[in-house]
Amino acid sequence: MRAARITRRQQDSLTSLHEAASNLRQKYAVPDVLRTHVRPVTTSSREAQWRNAAGRQLNLGAALLSLSVLADSGIEHYRGSFQNRAMYVPLGVSALALAASLFGVLDTRARSHVLRDGLYGVAAMTGVIGLGFHGYNILKRPGRFSWLNLFYAAPLGAPVALLLAGALGRGAEKVREDRSSRILGHPAGQTLGLLTSAGLAGTAAEAGLLHFRGAFQNPGMFLPVTLPPVAAGLLAASVINPGNALRRAAKACLNLTALLGFAGVAFHAYGVSRSMGGWRNWSQNLLGGPPLPAPPSFTGLALGGLAALSLVDKEQRSPST
Amino acid sequence: MTERYPGYNVLNKRNSPSWNDQTREVIDARLAIDEDFHRFCDQAEWRALRAICEQIVPQPAHHFPKAPIAAMIDQKLYSGKGDGYRDARLPAQGDAWRKGLAAIDAEAALESGKSFCELGQEQQRAVLRKVQKGEVASPAWAGLPAQLFFAKRLLHDIVTAYYAHPASWSEIGFGGPASPRGYVRMNFDRRDPWEAAEAKVGREEEARRDNEHVG
Amino acid sequence: MREYREDQPVDFAIVGTGAGGGTLACKLAEYGFSVVAFDAGPYWRPLEDFASDEMHQSKLYWTDERIVDGENPLQLGSNNSGKSVGGSTVHFAMVSLRFRPEWFKSLSILGYGADWPIDWREMWDYYAEVEQTLKVSGPINYPWGPKRPRYPYRAHELNAAALVLAEGAEALGIGWTATPLATLSAPRGLAHPCVYRGMCVIGCSTNAKQSVLVTWLPRALEAGAEIRDLAMVGSIEHDSRGLVTGVHYLREGRWRFQKARNVVVAGYSIETPRLLLNSASGKFPQGLANSSGLVGKNLMVQANQAVWGISDREIRSYKGPPSLAITEHWNYSDEGKDFHGGYSYMSQGPLPMLWGATQSSKRGLWGQALLDEMEKYNHQVGLKIVGETLPQERNCVTLTDERDQYGLRIPRVTHSYSDNDKRLIAHSLRFMRQALQATGARDIWDETDDTCHLNGTARMGFDRKSSVVNADCRSWDIPNLWICDGSVFPTVGGVNPSLTIQAIACRTADRIRAMARRGELITT
Ligand SMILES: Cc1cc2nc3c(=O)[nH]c(=O)nc-3n(C[C@H](O)[C@H](O)[C@H](O)COP(=O)(O)OP(=O)(O)OC[C@H]3O[C@@H](n4cnc5c(N)ncnc54)[C@H](O)[C@@H]3O)c2cc1C
Ligand code: SF4
Repeated sequence: MRAARITRRQQDSLTSLHEAASNLRQKYAVPDVLRTHVRPVTTSSREAQWRNAAGRQLNLGAALLSLSVLADSGIEHYRGSFQNRAMYVPLGVSALALAASLFGVLDTRARSHVLRDGLYGVAAMTGVIGLGFHGYNILKRPGRFSWLNLFYAAPLGAPVALLLAGALGRGAEKVREDRSSRILGHPAGQTLGLLTSAGLAGTAAEAGLLHFRGAFQNPGMFLPVTLPPVAAGLLAASVINPGNALRRAAKACLNLTALLGFAGVAFHAYGVSRSMGGWRNWSQNLLGGPPLPAPPSFTGLALGGLAALSLVDKEQRSPST
Repeated sequence: MTERYPGYNVLNKRNSPSWNDQTREVIDARLAIDEDFHRFCDQAEWRALRAICEQIVPQPAHHFPKAPIAAMIDQKLYSGKGDGYRDARLPAQGDAWRKGLAAIDAEAALESGKSFCELGQEQQRAVLRKVQKGEVASPAWAGLPAQLFFAKRLLHDIVTAYYAHPASWSEIGFGGPASPRGYVRMNFDRRDPWEAAEAKVGREEEARRDNEHVG
Repeated sequence: MREYREDQPVDFAIVGTGAGGGTLACKLAEYGFSVVAFDAGPYWRPLEDFASDEMHQSKLYWTDERIVDGENPLQLGSNNSGKSVGGSTVHFAMVSLRFRPEWFKSLSILGYGADWPIDWREMWDYYAEVEQTLKVSGPINYPWGPKRPRYPYRAHELNAAALVLAEGAEALGIGWTATPLATLSAPRGLAHPCVYRGMCVIGCSTNAKQSVLVTWLPRALEAGAEIRDLAMVGSIEHDSRGLVTGVHYLREGRWRFQKARNVVVAGYSIETPRLLLNSASGKFPQGLANSSGLVGKNLMVQANQAVWGISDREIRSYKGPPSLAITEHWNYSDEGKDFHGGYSYMSQGPLPMLWGATQSSKRGLWGQALLDEMEKYNHQVGLKIVGETLPQERNCVTLTDERDQYGLRIPRVTHSYSDNDKRLIAHSLRFMRQALQATGARDIWDETDDTCHLNGTARMGFDRKSSVVNADCRSWDIPNLWICDGSVFPTVGGVNPSLTIQAIACRTADRIRAMARRGELITT
């Protein structure tokens, strides 16, 4: 697993997931129907290994994003009383994307899977449609695209997270396929690097909007609007202009951003406890207080970014013929 | 008339985060008011006051608990606690009520020889309508402008007493006490699960079910 | 809390700890003066002492008897002043607005009322100071008036009642905005943000409301001021030179005397003139600071008429602060007006007792008709003005011969609308009716006789003949007697007054400090 440049802890957890997966696989052999359309392996087993590792890490990123979307849309749409039946859709889709991602994480084969690929596509589409819905929600409120509606109407950032989950997942599938895999005409690592970089910047922008709404009343609220944009910038820079120093810096920042996602949940949990009535008043404070499920999207994107970096690394070392 | 909030009882929220200890104490005391207890009014005044309260706020039969409006007013008058202002044309709160109750009885007696509480429902309402319009004949109104007394004292005191009681909150679908928990869903046609559900035509049972879960 | 001796004169004895007195106490203490601030009401701890109950919370109000008369007698009590440390801001609705700049010179620029002896640009800075202190939650861009700094906290989410105002305004093509409110939209230190329980006018048990009680007064204590609660000041003493020497006050059943070098009266527009009049002496038979004869005169209410209707949608206006949206269109636009002055209007959220009183006393409903109407509570929606009324000398506070529980003469409050006031009200009702109709509301009716906020009765001005105090809130007659509350307003404008009162108090504190440095204060 040396190839995938990930932290030791992540490596450990991946390894143990791997072991668990192979046990599971032996126990419940994947039925044939799930195996259809699996492309033949053409690359060397070494390369297949690192591609697969990168793919699985991307799956893991997508998993975290999907989880964040699932929990967030669950809470927010519950708050919105599921006024419109379509509000159930992102729950279902993100749950499926989560399942697909977990399947991907466990799947050590260096191949994409049509089911995952399809589900990721659906997730991305749902994100786009959701963006339309949320935009419409904003537009029909008095004030239109006013600050007030950006603060309190349906958030534009949330569906984008689902879109990103889908895109990362698609990327995961793509990089597993073969070494010459290209996305949107560029080497997969580059495209994914730029995508996660943009995703990080966008997510930071959303955190910025909401923390601005909260008047940055706690200094900790500045973290997600400073660290992730730096990580995003370094990531983009080292994708475009690879160099050791840049890459190391990008990796460090991405690692910190990944941690920030978890720290954010803790911060938000503290925020809930500090709201009127604290956890006893959970039925209000989980909805009205700082959103618990939001910060992990940073982790998801940061993992995606790390995977992209390692891909870029490989792409560089063994240029496709 | 069917209930708008079938099965909603604001008191079911008593042990939820919508109520705090201070509120529980205050509301418990209000619920414990004995509807027959009076200290300010004498017997005749008390009978008149009760009958008037019944007319001004004809509480639905299904109400439980019923708001002891007359006793709440008696309590307020006994305490002497005022509203902070008095129209110069009216006597002080307690005097106004004593005079007013006597005058309403006198007005009733003028027509039928009976006191107000002995009149039939419709007759009682007729007397009150006259007072409201200031079309009174009894000399007992001397020094007490009937119209003003009716609007500023009688209606004001009875109606505010009623709407200070949880029975009325359940009836109108008010959320009731709300601290520490307030509300989250503020948009049109939205309710938090701890708010009264309104019966939409043909979907009364749905509302009743929702209201059973309010807490 | 620091405590001062009664027999040692303090620099400032302040009567009243509301918007005017509380703010001034804080600032003066921070400037190093020794300060004792008296309030007739108790020192509440909102988190522990407040219940969620309209009736119980009437403990916050000034409910001592007052006589009202005139053509349009006022409703006071809950509708009006508070009797609490923190004053009326403990139960105010938190709407925090700045005056339109022209109002400070309404006579010379707009042709009505009276000019203030203060320049609006100076006030603009003090407004900013107050907004910062209260961490006012307001919109990013305020649609009217000169540029102002960004509000410290972001505006609150709108409730349905506020969205109705917005819909109506957009339908009629006028501006609207989220109301700048002195309640937290995010935590502030240990203070919780607003939970939208909607009970602001009975006291905020969340402590999100940024009243004087939780903003200026803790700072005042920290700076060494003493707040003496449950202390009713009955009269102000003066010496043979005509300088005030301290205040007589009733506390724990006994009349006491606090010596002071300066006395500031900040008891709101009824109690302030009452105290000055009740302090009449051989030397000042008309009452203190009253050589102009204007103490108690020019009482100004703000018109508070409303249109109400029924929406097919559930509104449930009991959720959230009552006035989340506002339009100041008719404060800033003078187009086609047949009256002087302006008004703003805001969304509403009456609680059941108030709503019942409105339906019965205002519409005369009772019996089944009342219950039927009340049952529509969650669908009712309303727009209510804060409207400017013009100063009139016949609107006044005087003393009756009746005495209250303290043995003090009870005030009589006389009020009648002027013709101009009536035209303003008619304009507003017509306009709001259209606005409400445009949102699809039905069964619209006018509430024609409500008032809010009192101001005036000790106006500031340019000379001792036509005013009671100067621009520094210092009385013309007695140089160590000051008045610093809503009573000093020469005109009221069409916005809620508390922000302006606090801004004036901040300014007064700065002026006093400057005067002290120049040795212009009286030293006894
Ligand atoms: C229901 C309601 C809602 C309101 N909403 C708003 C709003 O949204 N926005 C806004 O700007 N304004 C609002 N106001 C008005 C605002 O609260 C007042 O204008 C402001 O508080 C007045 O400040 P003040 O200093 O003049 O008097 P107050 O704040 O009333 O303070 C006066 C204090 O003096 C004390 N006092 C008086 N006489 C004596 C005495 N003799 N001895 C000892 N103590 C005495 C009283 O107990 C009281 O505490 C509202 C008022 C009410 C009643
Ligand atoms: S709505 Fe907000 S400000 Fe008003 S009482 Fe509730 S918590 Fe306090």
